[in-house]
Amino acid sequence: MSIEPVLFYIFSAVLVFAAVMVIAVRNPVFAALFLVLAFFNSAALWLLLEAEFLALVLVLVYVGAVMVLFLFVVMMLDINLTPLREGFIKYMPVGLVVAVIMLLEIAVVVGPENFGLDQVAPPPRHGADYNNTAELGSVLYTVYAYPFEIAAVILLVAIVAAISLTLRRRPQTKYQNPAEQVLVRREDRVRLVKMEAEKAGSAEGAEGD
Amino acid sequence: MVFEFPNFVPALAEIFVLTMACVVLIVDLFLTERNRVITYLLSQATLLGAAVLTVSLHNNSTELTFSGGFIRDGMGDVLKVFIYLVVAVVFLYSREYLVVRKLFKGEFFVLGLFAVLGMMVMVSGHSLLTIYLGLELLSLSLYAMVAMHRDSMPASEAAMKYFILGAIASGMLLYGMSLIYGATGSLDIGVIADTLRMSPGDDMVLLLGLTFIIVALAFKLGAVPFHMWIPDVYHGAPTPVTLFIGSAPKIAAFAMVMRLLVDGLGPLHVQWQDMLVILAALSIVAGSVIAIAQRNLKRMLAYSTIAHVGFLLLGILAGTENGYAGAMFYVLVYALMTLGAFGMILMLSRAGFEADEIEDFKGLNERSPWFAFVMLILMFSMAGVPPFVGFYAKLAVLQAVIDAGLVWLAVLAVLSAVIGAFYYLRIVKYMYFDKPGDESALQSNFDMRATISANGLLILGLGIYPSGLMALCVTVLR
Amino acid sequence: MKGVYLTVVLAPLIGSIIAGLFGRKIGKTGAHGVTIAGVALSFLMSLVAFKHIVIDGAPTFNESVYTWLISDGIRLEIGFLIDRLTALMMVVVTFVSLMVHIYTIGYMKDDPGYQRFFSYISLFTFSMLMLVMANNFLQLFFGWEAVGLVSYLLIGFWYQRESAIYANLKAFLVNRVGDFGFLLGIAAILMYFNSLDYADVFAAAPLLSDVTIQVFPGVEWSLLTVICILLFIGAMGKSAQMPLHVWLPDSMEGPTPISALIHAATMVTAGIFMVARMSPLYELSETALSVVLVIGALTAFLMGLLGIVQNDIKRMVAYSTLSQLGYMTVALGVSAYSAAIFHLMTHAFFKALMFLAAGSVIIAMHHDQDIRNMGGLKKYMPITYWTFLIGALALIGFPGTAGFFSKDAIIEAVHASDLPGSGFAYLAVLLGVFVTALYTFRAFFLVFHGKERMDEHTRTHLRESPLVVTVPLILLAIPSVLVGMVAIGPLLFGEFFADSIYVAAAHDVLARIGEDFTGALGFLFHGMLGMPVLLALAGVATAWYIYLQRPELAGLIKARFELLYRILDRKYGFDDFNEAFFAAGSRGLGRLFWRTGDETVIDGVAVNGTAKGIGWIAARIRQAQTGLLYHYAFAMIIGLLILISFYVLL
Repeated sequence: MSIEPVLFYIFSAVLVFAAVMVIAVRNPVFAALFLVLAFFNSAALWLLLEAEFLALVLVLVYVGAVMVLFLFVVMMLDINLTPLREGFIKYMPVGLVVAVIMLLEIAVVVGPENFGLDQVAPPPRHGADYNNTAELGSVLYTVYAYPFEIAAVILLVAIVAAISLTLRRRPQTKYQNPAEQVLVRREDRVRLVKMEAEKAGSAEGAEGD
Repeated sequence: MVFEFPNFVPALAEIFVLTMACVVLIVDLFLTERNRVITYLLSQATLLGAAVLTVSLHNNSTELTFSGGFIRDGMGDVLKVFIYLVVAVVFLYSREYLVVRKLFKGEFFVLGLFAVLGMMVMVSGHSLLTIYLGLELLSLSLYAMVAMHRDSMPASEAAMKYFILGAIASGMLLYGMSLIYGATGSLDIGVIADTLRMSPGDDMVLLLGLTFIIVALAFKLGAVPFHMWIPDVYHGAPTPVTLFIGSAPKIAAFAMVMRLLVDGLGPLHVQWQDMLVILAALSIVAGSVIAIAQRNLKRMLAYSTIAHVGFLLLGILAGTENGYAGAMFYVLVYALMTLGAFGMILMLSRAGFEADEIEDFKGLNERSPWFAFVMLILMFSMAGVPPFVGFYAKLAVLQAVIDAGLVWLAVLAVLSAVIGAFYYLRIVKYMYFDKPGDESALQSNFDMRATISANGLLILGLGIYPSGLMALCVTVLR
Repeated sequence: MKGVYLTVVLAPLIGSIIAGLFGRKIGKTGAHGVTIAGVALSFLMSLVAFKHIVIDGAPTFNESVYTWLISDGIRLEIGFLIDRLTALMMVVVTFVSLMVHIYTIGYMKDDPGYQRFFSYISLFTFSMLMLVMANNFLQLFFGWEAVGLVSYLLIGFWYQRESAIYANLKAFLVNRVGDFGFLLGIAAILMYFNSLDYADVFAAAPLLSDVTIQVFPGVEWSLLTVICILLFIGAMGKSAQMPLHVWLPDSMEGPTPISALIHAATMVTAGIFMVARMSPLYELSETALSVVLVIGALTAFLMGLLGIVQNDIKRMVAYSTLSQLGYMTVALGVSAYSAAIFHLMTHAFFKALMFLAAGSVIIAMHHDQDIRNMGGLKKYMPITYWTFLIGALALIGFPGTAGFFSKDAIIEAVHASDLPGSGFAYLAVLLGVFVTALYTFRAFFLVFHGKERMDEHTRTHLRESPLVVTVPLILLAIPSVLVGMVAIGPLLFGEFFADSIYVAAAHDVLARIGEDFTGALGFLFHGMLGMPVLLALAGVATAWYIYLQRPELAGLIKARFELLYRILDRKYGFDDFNEAFFAAGSRGLGRLFWRTGDETVIDGVAVNGTAKGIGWIAARIRQAQTGLLYHYAFAMIIGLLILISFYVLL
């Protein structure tokens, strides 16, 4: 028995455990960290499948960028834990039953009966000089250019949506405009007014007193 | 892998819409509040241009391009033209409402155009991947549109629900697609169909994939029990967005069902027919019954949508050409009726007054006999009263169901339609026999009045001459 | 020509829709402008059609313009059958309607329901045209019911009046009885002929002339007799033949223009038209013809008698309408269909004239309709006087007027017929002539001559009506005099209706009298010395003697023939009988069904029970819509689970 199946089972076990913990732990920060763990293990599984590029991208993008951002958000929002937990115990038995049935049913289908090496032939093995990234790129920008472009549009929509939903112009907020400050001229700020030292009318009034 | 440089011509309309959406996005940046109407006009011009392109590219043959990810055929062309038409009318109806509520922003139109693009991708999708991406593009735009009214709690809540439930449905769709891919080894709709035709279709993996896909489709259409989002989203979203969600995306969803279930998984018809029977029966009954208990017109129309979706599924599950044509006829007619009904809500609303309670239609006849009549046409048509077109739509799908040997389902559907007639006619009763709550005359601009009148008359006209549209549906599906 | 025919029908409909829906916006002027324009256009197009069909001799137009649906081989469609009969009816209907539209401007001037009224009468014109232009039974029935509906709306036009509501309900219910027969007749046609198209049915009718059916077990009836009598029951309702005539006098509660348009000139003649149109069916059943003949004769005579005791000027005219409809029905019964249509046409002109003239009197009298309060109006309203006189002369069949030719032709036709019952009918129509002259001139003398019996206030305000009222009177007076002389030759004895009306050779009474026909003048001189004219003059003389020379005689006669007067005054007891038997009986039955059947069983259990049940279920299911996100998600999961369990694993 080679080392690969052993590694597979270890990573898989950690992955499943981490995924369960994501939804089971009370603290959102811990949940996020367990998600990071889950990502790492999936990346490891992909490495075992010779999908090096995807494994690295998963770690770089999801762990490196998305999850860090996510952690910031979670830490900045002061989420009250108790109300979130309220229904948990109450619904847990039903939810558990449903989840178990679902799991069993899917397991029946996605089990060794229908999948596995004796059902589906394994993909051909590639040598060490095989360039996963180049292969991916060559189809991504040719055969899959159309879906790739749509995905780009989806991201554009996401940007538009995010900005339009969060950007608020607050008229009452006061802010400085450095360009204006630099370009300001003396005439704009200071106005010299000539006036007599004493008004005629008020002088008369003073005399009356 | 041999790469063939794709032919861009069949997708010119999509390319045009994408370009214009980006143009509108940029132009809008340089507009002030006062001349924002340019954004609106540009959006309408985009839809018009796309319609011109689609019509001029139309022919009866089928073209594949982008390595099989894109298909242009008669059904797609007709559905796309209807999508442009419906969205153009949505924009038109929405304008005044948005202006009055200070929601008249470029984003509404930009997101709307991107949603149109998503629908076009779905309609023309010929691989699991493009269909899924089209759906995501549409959904993402819709989530953002629902949330657009940021100061409204119900809208934010609705957006949240829509987003999370939509994400679950997308997850299911992906899982189902991955199983289908695993079982057939291809993402291409045509290849999948060929593979399935070769091998008997009782493979459990296929069936599981099929089930997940059907659940996702049912969610998108709003079939019971995957309908829960519909009432809340319809109710919570700003009315123009509700109008948007309720009309054009149903046409795209129909196309998606046709592409996935009929074109792709057609050989599994026996299996998916049974599932659709359950979904259709539940939708028709639940939609008709629950609508009775509603006081809010948007909510009521949401449940009525659910019932209509049930009828739509009847045509599809029959699995015959006539059934598909009937379902297509139904979805087009449904979109037109929905436009009219929500259009009436938009027309009656004013600053600070939504007009979305059923009570708000009280005594409309005294305030404006003509628009009360238009509403009457719409309600009668939705209830399926001849000679309005809703009757023919129901007749066509029921015919198909009876031909498929499911007489009990047809009887159930008719009985539910009778129950459903109650709440449509209740609105008519309110309009004609009750005293108006407020006597103020309707205030709306000319294009709105003209369009909504044309909308109502179209329902009447199609009811008198249904054969043209019906023949079109039959032709493009042959 | 299809465009022309469509315009004829649609122009009034469009006018009606605009006046009805946008009445408040376009105002009174707009409302009458648009409807009159519609009807005038329709009239012009009818003239074009008339010229095309009659004068240019174009072949009959029979085409469907719209197919609603085809079910099991039966086509439900809208189509036009335009032959000479239709063309004539179109001209008459649109002409009278146009006159009434114009007249209404003056008559309804201050009514708050002005626009509504114009919308209704244009809608009526549309319905009536649909009826006469139909080429199939479905459209005929549509027109039939539509005119009935508009008639109902118009009789109850002043819906605040108790009596108007009573009258329109009565008209509706009585017509329902007739329509029931009519519908059964159409159903029988559909069942045996398997088509609703006139041409198909007429072509197949001779083949089915020997078919018998058992309506009651053991009694064999000829199919065509049953169909014809059922259809005629419909005609009895619409054309107010005994005993379904009771609604017509009460319908005078409606505004006078309506009485002229609907209850004199057009709608009530729909039954006559329908029977004439169905001549290929009626000719195959002598029994049905006899029934038609006897009913018509009874109506003609007995309803005329009632005219004598009426004191309301409009009711008097209404009873005369009933009597004249009886004449037309008699003509149908002896297969003189063209004579019936001829009388229908002349009657449309002179009766509309009389109604409108009576309306003019009513306007002047400040809506007092009692002739006992009138008298000596001649010097105040000369135009009304002369036009009313022309109408009255035409009505009694004074030689030379339109009514003379048509009525004399009918009487001659009855005389020439040898159908069972024709002897009785001949007697009835002859006596009817005397009676007609008596009541017509009774009213005429009481209104326009003799002492001025109105109060001082009314007298000082008496004046001739405005132009919009008098011009239609004059325009209607012209055909009332002339149309008979012009039309009698071609209509009755020419080939005018050769393509539209079928008469079996054995029944062709008109051909028999036609042998002696040398021309309108010859007919005039021949008739001048005949019985009918002498009887008519005797009637006029009697009226003159009793009501002008010896006014006290009337009271004496009333006292002397107390019983007869009572019978006439109670209208032979039809109303009392209906009230006591049908109305009270059905109310009793209704109460029984209402209390036990409806309130407890249907309302309590079936309707409210179902509604409550559904409402209850709706409220319960509604609870499932909790608004909680995880409930929704959970519902989706459960749904998925069930689908997987059922369809994947099982």
